[in-house]
Amino acid sequence: MQASRARLFKEYKEVQREKSADPDIQLVCDDSNIFKWTALIKGPSETPYEGGVFQLAFAVPEQYPLQPPQVRFLTKIFHPNVHFKTGEICLDILKNAWSPAWTLQSVCRAIIALMAHPEPDSPLNCDSGNLLRSGDIRGFQSMARMYTRLAAMPKKG
Amino acid sequence: MVSDSITHNAPIASAPNSRDFSKKKRTNRSAKLKQCKLDVRREQWLSQVGAVKSKCCKEDQNGARKERARSLENLRRRDEDNSNDSGSMHHDSDSESPSNSPTNSLLCGNSGTNPGTNFIGSSSSSSSVSGSSGGGCCSGSITEEEEEDGCLDDWEAVADALAADDDNNKQEPEHDRSCSQSPSESQLSVQSDSLHELANGLSLDSVKSMPDGARMVPSVSENNRRAWRPDDAFRPQSLPNLAKQRSFPAADRHFGQGGVPWACNNVLAAPSSCPICYEDLDYTDSSFLPCLCGFRLCLFCHKRILEEDGRCPGCRKPYEHDQVESEAIVQGGSMTFRLARSCSMIARS
Repeated sequence: MQASRARLFKEYKEVQREKSADPDIQLVCDDSNIFKWTALIKGPSETPYEGGVFQLAFAVPEQYPLQPPQVRFLTKIFHPNVHFKTGEICLDILKNAWSPAWTLQSVCRAIIALMAHPEPDSPLNCDSGNLLRSGDIRGFQSMARMYTRLAAMPKKG
Repeated sequence: MVSDSITHNAPIASAPNSRDFSKKKRTNRSAKLKQCKLDVRREQWLSQVGAVKSKCCKEDQNGARKERARSLENLRRRDEDNSNDSGSMHHDSDSESPSNSPTNSLLCGNSGTNPGTNFIGSSSSSSSVSGSSGGGCCSGSITEEEEEDGCLDDWEAVADALAADDDNNKQEPEHDRSCSQSPSESQLSVQSDSLHELANGLSLDSVKSMPDGARMVPSVSENNRRAWRPDDAFRPQSLPNLAKQRSFPAADRHFGQGGVPWACNNVLAAPSSCPICYEDLDYTDSSFLPCLCGFRLCLFCHKRILEEDGRCPGCRKPYEHDQVESEAIVQGGSMTFRLARSCSMIARS
């Protein structure tokens, strides 16, 4: 508990100190609970998610960093490895490949990388995975772009 | 470098002469030295120059005349040679009163027999000699004499005082009494000079010494003499020893430095803070390498990880017997580590 709190506090200071280090990631700690974090990440360029801003919710366990944080998309996203309704993310580093050396910041980077390189073989979104596995790249990209516009981009007017 | 070459040349010729003189001088010295010793010591210690001068001056005056005639430079060369010879003996005296005048006492004794002029030159030469460090040439003659007299300590002090007095009388640039080293050298030089070679040596020395003297005069003075004193005492044997000793510590330092950078490299290679808890790594943590992948972390986090999944955060491979290192380093924690392993094994099984 104390260790996780101390570590999160250090991470918080690190984030505050290097706020502009990674313009694609904006990591914010909950005002009242250091174990609750939210992050805003920009969709990587040259992907259907480009131009969108996706919100992530971090739930940090007390055993952190020995246990990985629980991360899910608050913004709806059409991605093979993200549950379309719950926003759950299937990412190895958030499961068995977690390392205490990871940080919330690095998790955000990993999620951005996952958005750019989906893994259709372990899908949480079967529709998205099936499109990719069937080779319908165009269909996948159009669906993903549509949901990005609908959910992740500021509404015009 | 120049001084060394000069010293080597001079000692060869002067050494035998100096020895003969030294014997003669010994007798004279013993009486004079005994008288002067007490006074010299007192004066030297209190005010290195003052009282000693009177006694020393007598001897010095004799030597001073010759010395005056000679160029200081010549003296210096001779002194260097002499000092080298005498150095072995001086060591003993130096040990008792290192800064003082083991050399000076010798000089005084020598100066009594030999012309005191050498002192000045010797001081300069000593400075040059000291700079060169060389001096293995120094014959044991002076030292032997001193040992025989058993007055080495006193002699040294006296010699220092005498040298100071001589210097004052002569008013040579090197007069500074502080140049205890130089006096010893001067004594040696005096002996050698007093020997037959004085004239020859002087001419040769003067020619040779000129450049040296130029060097010596400005910088040498007291400091050089002093430096030489210990050296002189050690010259025969100790000088090389000293050099060796110096080299050894230097080598040790180098090793230490090497070790330091090594440690620094380790530290640098490792993060300054634990990547898990972000706490600063202390020395033990910095030297703690639990995994072959090189991933470093503090012992606390390592223990916690072992209690959890026991995998290295860097390579995600389970900590194996690599922990032996950690256990060896932290013996106290070895039990916990082992227990953690067993627990983890059980949990896995």
